[in-house]
Formats: sequence, structure tokens, C-alpha cells
Amino acid sequence: MAEFNIQSDSVDVTRIMEQIRQRIQEKRGRDYTEQQIRELATVKLERFLDPKQVRSDLVEHYRQLEPPAALAPPTEERPSPPPETFNFDEDTIYASSRGTMGKLIRLIRKLLSPIIKLFFNLNAIVFALSRQSEINTWTLQLLQQQADLAERVTQRAGEKFVAREELDALNYEVLNNLVVEMTRLSVDMKNHRSLVESVAGRLDFDERRARALESVVQSRSPQPSQGDDGESAPSTGSGRTRRRRRRSRRRPGTATTLDGPGTPTNAATETGAQGETAQPASNRATLQAEPATSSPVPPPRQDTALPAAPATDPSAVSPAPTTPVPEAAPARDPAPPTPPTGASSVDSPAAPTPSEGGAPASATAPAAEPVAAPSTASTPSTTSSMGDAGTDEQ
Amino acid sequence: MRLAVIVQRYGAELNGGAELHARYVAEHLARHAEIEVLTTCATDYITWRNELNPGVEQVNGVPVRRFPVSRERDAHEFGQRSTVVFEEPHSVAAELAWLRSEGPTSPSLVNHLRRHGDTYDYCLFFSYRYYHAYHGIRVTGPRALLVPTAERDPALGLHIFGGGFRSVRALMYNSYEERALINAVAKNDDVPGVVVGIGSEVPAHPEPQRFRQATGIEGPVLIYVGRIDENKGCRELFDYFQRYARLSPQLSLVLIGNPVMPIPEHPRIRHLGYVTDQEKFDALAAADLLVMPSQYESLSMVTLEAWALSRPVLVNGRCDVLCGQCIRSNGGLYYENYEEFAETLNAIVSNSSLRDALGTNGRAYFNAHYTWSVIERKYLDMLDRLEREEAQPARRPEPLPGWFGRRRRDLPPSRQVVDRLPTGPAHRTSGASAGRSVSDA
Repeated sequence: MAEFNIQSDSVDVTRIMEQIRQRIQEKRGRDYTEQQIRELATVKLERFLDPKQVRSDLVEHYRQLEPPAALAPPTEERPSPPPETFNFDEDTIYASSRGTMGKLIRLIRKLLSPIIKLFFNLNAIVFALSRQSEINTWTLQLLQQQADLAERVTQRAGEKFVAREELDALNYEVLNNLVVEMTRLSVDMKNHRSLVESVAGRLDFDERRARALESVVQSRSPQPSQGDDGESAPSTGSGRTRRRRRRSRRRPGTATTLDGPGTPTNAATETGAQGETAQPASNRATLQAEPATSSPVPPPRQDTALPAAPATDPSAVSPAPTTPVPEAAPARDPAPPTPPTGASSVDSPAAPTPSEGGAPASATAPAAEPVAAPSTASTPSTTSSMGDAGTDEQ
Repeated sequence: MRLAVIVQRYGAELNGGAELHARYVAEHLARHAEIEVLTTCATDYITWRNELNPGVEQVNGVPVRRFPVSRERDAHEFGQRSTVVFEEPHSVAAELAWLRSEGPTSPSLVNHLRRHGDTYDYCLFFSYRYYHAYHGIRVTGPRALLVPTAERDPALGLHIFGGGFRSVRALMYNSYEERALINAVAKNDDVPGVVVGIGSEVPAHPEPQRFRQATGIEGPVLIYVGRIDENKGCRELFDYFQRYARLSPQLSLVLIGNPVMPIPEHPRIRHLGYVTDQEKFDALAAADLLVMPSQYESLSMVTLEAWALSRPVLVNGRCDVLCGQCIRSNGGLYYENYEEFAETLNAIVSNSSLRDALGTNGRAYFNAHYTWSVIERKYLDMLDRLEREEAQPARRPEPLPGWFGRRRRDLPPSRQVVDRLPTGPAHRTSGASAGRSVSDA
């Protein structure tokens, strides 16, 4: 209450009361209103959750199970006290409450009573009323006992009612929190699903690109040996020597047998699925650094030097593998690299060819920095080849 | 000037609202006029049994003439007649019978006024709803002044009282809400009237430390002074306080007064019973605020006494008079449910600047309107005004209908009449309220 601005002479009770009532309204608003609960229980659940598995109207059902009377506060209305019983005797019918005048009236009535008795039996009426008075007294006592009993029962019921109300409030709170958490989890699940789809799309593109590059390399490899150009032969020979040296160095420890058919964990190595085994590691690192709402994979560039994967290649159209092969898995050494069988007109000595069948550089170009993060033993070499490929492509 | 003060009971030991009010007024006006009090021999307002001797005696220097009550109240009969006139269409005769059963029926008092009424310059009647006031106003006619002490209860809607409100020379109201209520029910705007209320003699230097030492109570104190009765809203107060005490266990509720209902066992509720005036004022001075939970109050003297001691008050907002007093004085807050009770109580207890400001405003309001010098001046001004208007034709009491007319059951249930009356505190801006920007009527 310290926020009241009190200036000693200018206190306005009406304004203070308005502030207090406004605060009470705000406090009430901080809790869940009926409208909010209904919205939580219906709209959000229906929007994000599978209605076949979760009852979206769970809270509504819960509320309907509560008896409406239990929600109303117990009333404390008490019946008015019973009227007093009256004493009736044979003199009552002659009595008067008018003081001195009453005595006179009573005397006159007494005198006239024999005449009245000529018309009807007064004693029977007096007897009946006297008996009725006794019955009234007895009934009143009985009712009093019943009322005491009822009061005790009501008190016990009230205590139970209060305890039940508190329990209901707790249950309701738990249920409400559950609904909110479920809604939040469903939103998270939705986000993760879209993220996985994005990763899968990117992986698919990378795979296709890798295959395209491999086919280019294979088609270029024989070219230096068949050529007669004296300038190109030494450079090509030295390049191949470097590539071989580098390849032989990596063979014993690395698992990135991207172009080898001997990966024991994947039966589809012949179709180039091994290329997919190395890619997820680097791509995973990339995705971890990217926000969930990262832009999709950039479209492949239409380069005449990098033809698309052959349409007959099954891996080009096959979906990405759902279970990636561990990057550190030992791979059998494949057969020695196929000697180059042909030269490419676009190949140049300064631009090394992606001989190890690394991932296509263009796919990783936008996310080159995250890829550089080492994740496994094979990742650095893959990264280096990808860097070369990127340079080569450009 | 010779004045008669007519009230249903009178005595130094009586603490009822209207009776105490009448005694205070008689004793203070005795300094300016010759006063004689006319009352009954009864001391119990339930039975009206004759317990004092008829004749003349002196009470605090004021002569008091007592008259016997001819019949005690029959509670059963009174209840039946009340049901008839409050809840059912009824006749004038039924209302007159209800008045007789209510009492205190003292024909000798009325006969005295009939025979000797002209020996008084003015007759000041207290409490419109009793036998002495209704018949006394009819026999004294133009000399009658009325202090109605009216509340919003079904008796106000009875047809027979409308004539009395219209035929008296002047009305001395307790509050603006009371005046609005009576004007609405009786259409007596042309009758001279002034809002007077009642003063209080508060010691200049109460000793709160004495109260703290005597009771051992520490920390903030919420105090209630009055009869501890369900009709005074005490059940609701106990309920609210116990709920509030769970949130703020430091606050203590101190009760002063005789209990007519069980007081809950609670470590923060202290009942001190009946105490002397000095102890009461010490307790009020030691308290942080006074609470007045009653829904039916025509003025509440203890609220004024709290303001006189610069203590803020927290009142039941459903009581128009108390709510209006708080708004006009800016000396207290009001509540209508538990949430408001907790918020307002917390505001006053936890915010010392607000508490001091409310107390200061309350004291200023008391000084401006409820010191005895102000009260006496209002009475004397009204009497002077009536003397100046003496030349005007006197009002005559409205005649009762004939024998058949009195028995025609064409009057609506009085509860319906009262329910149709406007509610809420009286709002009207006036510059006569202690120089502050408050609503006044």
C-alpha cells in the first residue's frame, strides 16, 4: 500500500477506495479467469495437440463434474425464532388486556357465558385449545431437539465441505498447470519437428551434391594420362601424388570413407550412402549453432562444371537415412582409388579437385564457420576437403 | 425559554443510543434554557416494565418527571403485529395497534403534555417510532421538535409516522443520510431541519501507554467499541479478522463492550469487557484504528470519539450513514466484502502517512461539526429561528381517517416502502467542512 500518494491535507477517501477496488480487480485478473481457462482448455489444446490422444475439453469435463451447489458459498440464513407458545385455560376466553376496563369486560363476559352456552358447547372448545397448547409445547421441544441435531450435522458437513473445497482447489490448480505445460510441450514438439524436417532437407541436398561432384571427379581422373600436353602432365602427376599421400595418411584412422563401398554399417554403400555418414556430423554442428528458424538450404547452383547427379543414381532420389552411421566407426579400406580416366576441360592445376569425395562445398558455404568446429576425428579432414571444394567450385 | 425533552427512557446509567443522546442534549441545553425531561418509569426497552418511581427527580442537575407505563410489551403480540404491518398490506388501525404493542404505552405522559404542553416553549421529542413521540407530537402541535434517530428499518415506512414528520416545527437530524431518508419517505422538505448529531466529551490527554501496560498488548491494534452483537456486524467482523490474521499475524483485535454472542477463541482477539470511559479513551488512543462493522447506525458516537482522538476508522460500507461520514470527513475507509476489508485494513495499518492523514482529517471533521459548542449553537440557532417564524400560521397535525377509513387495508407493506427509498451516502458539495475538499451534504 506504500504506493498511495498521501498528502496530509488532500486525502480523498473516494479516490483511495477507487484505487483499492481497482487493485482488487487487478488481483482477481492475475488469476485465471473462466474465459482464460476455457481458452487454455479448448483453443490451445485443439490447436497443438492431437485430439485423438488428449481430451481437449479436459478442464471442461472436470468442471462439469463439480456440483454447482458446491461452488456457492454456504449460506448462513437462519429461520426466525419460533413463536412463543400460549397458555390456555378456561379463563383465557374471558380475559382482557385493557387494564381497569378489561376487568369490567371480563365480568360482563362471565355474566353472559350461560347465554353463550345455549348456542354451543364452550367447554369442548376450551378443552381442545388447552390440549392444543400442550401439544404445541411438546412439538416445540421436539423441534428444538431436531434443530440442535441438524445444526450439529450441518456443522460437520460444513467442515467436510470446506476441506473438500480446499482439495478441489488444489486439484484444479494441478490440472490447470498440467494443461499449460502440455500446451507448452506441444509447441516445443512442433518446433522440433520443423527443425528436423529442415535438417533432413539440407542433408538430402548435400547428398545429391556430393554424388554430382563424385561423378565429375570420376569422369575427369583419366584425362591427365591420356593427354599429350607436356605442361599439364607434371602438374597433374604431382597433384595426384599429393592426393594419394593425403589419402593414404588418412586411411588407417579416419572413418570418412565417403567413396568406399566397405562401410560395415550400411548395406547401401554401393549407392554412395557412405557419403551421408560423414555429413550429419558437420551438419549437426551447423544446426546447433543456427536458430530453429534458420533459413532453408540454399538452392543448388547451376554450374555447368558440376553436373547434377545422374537420374539413375538411386541415392539421389532416396530420402536421407533416418539412422546416421557413427562418424568414428572404422571403415575398411576400400579399393585403391580409381586412376583418373579422363581430363576435364574446366580442371586447372590451381584448383584442386575434390578427390576424396568430400561434401559439396556449396552446400556448406553459408555455414562455413560452424562446420569448422571439430566434432569427431573425421570431421577436420572433411572440412578441409569441403573448403577445397568450395574454392574449386568458385 | 422552557424546554421539555421527551424520551422513552432516561437515566445516568442508561447507555442506549437515543437515551444517551437525549441526556447529553438536555444537560448541555440546561446551560441555556430551563429544561424538564419527561419520560417513563421503565429502564428495559424490551419489556418497558415500570422499575423506577413516578414523579420528579434530579439527574445530573436536570429535573426528570417520570410517568408509569400502562402495559408491558407482549413480545408475542408485538411480533405478530410487526409481521402484519411490515410484510402485508394493512390498515391504519393495524399500525396504531402495532404502536401500542411496541410501547412504552404511557397515556399519563401524553395526558400531561395535553394539559401542560403550553407551559413549554418547545417540546423536543426523541425517537420517532415510539408511542410517546407519536402521540406527544399530535398533542403538542406547533411546539414539537423531533430528533428522529431514524434508521433504514421497516418502521420508517409506516404510514402513521409520515404525518408526524410533516407536522413538527423542526427536525434535528443526526446525519445527512437520515435527512435524505426521511425527506424521501415523508415528503417533508419544507419542514425546517438541520443536521446536528451529537457531541462527545473526549479527554484532552488520554494515556495510550497506560492501556498498553495494563493489557500487555503490543503491536498494531484494531479496536471495536460497542455491544458485541450479531446485529452490530460482529460475526462478520470476527470472520473477516480471522481470515486477515492468517496474512498479518501481528495485528490484534481488541473488543470493548458487553457480549451477547460468543466471541471466537483466537490468540489475536482480546475481549476487555465493560470498561470505564477513561479506559475506553486510553484504548482508543492506543489503537491504530477503530472498526465499526454495523450496517445499521444512525450516527455512531464511538466513531466520532475515534476521530476526536485522531484515529482513523474502518466502517461497513453498506451502512449509508457511516460510509457518508467517511466520505465527508476523509477520515476513514469502508468495506463491503472481505477483499475490501483486507485491503483497506492493510492500507491503514501498513501506511503510517495514510493513517495519520485520515486521523488528522477525522479530528478536523469532529472539531468542525461535533464539538458541544457547535452542537449547542445549532440547537439554539434553530430555536431562535423558530421564534422569529412564530408569526407564521402554525402547522396542525394531520387528522386520522374516520372509523371505516382506519380499517381499510390499503396500505402497502412498510418493508416495500423502505426498500424503494434511495440508498447510498448523501453526496452534495459544500464548503462548510473544515476547509477540505470533501463531499458534504
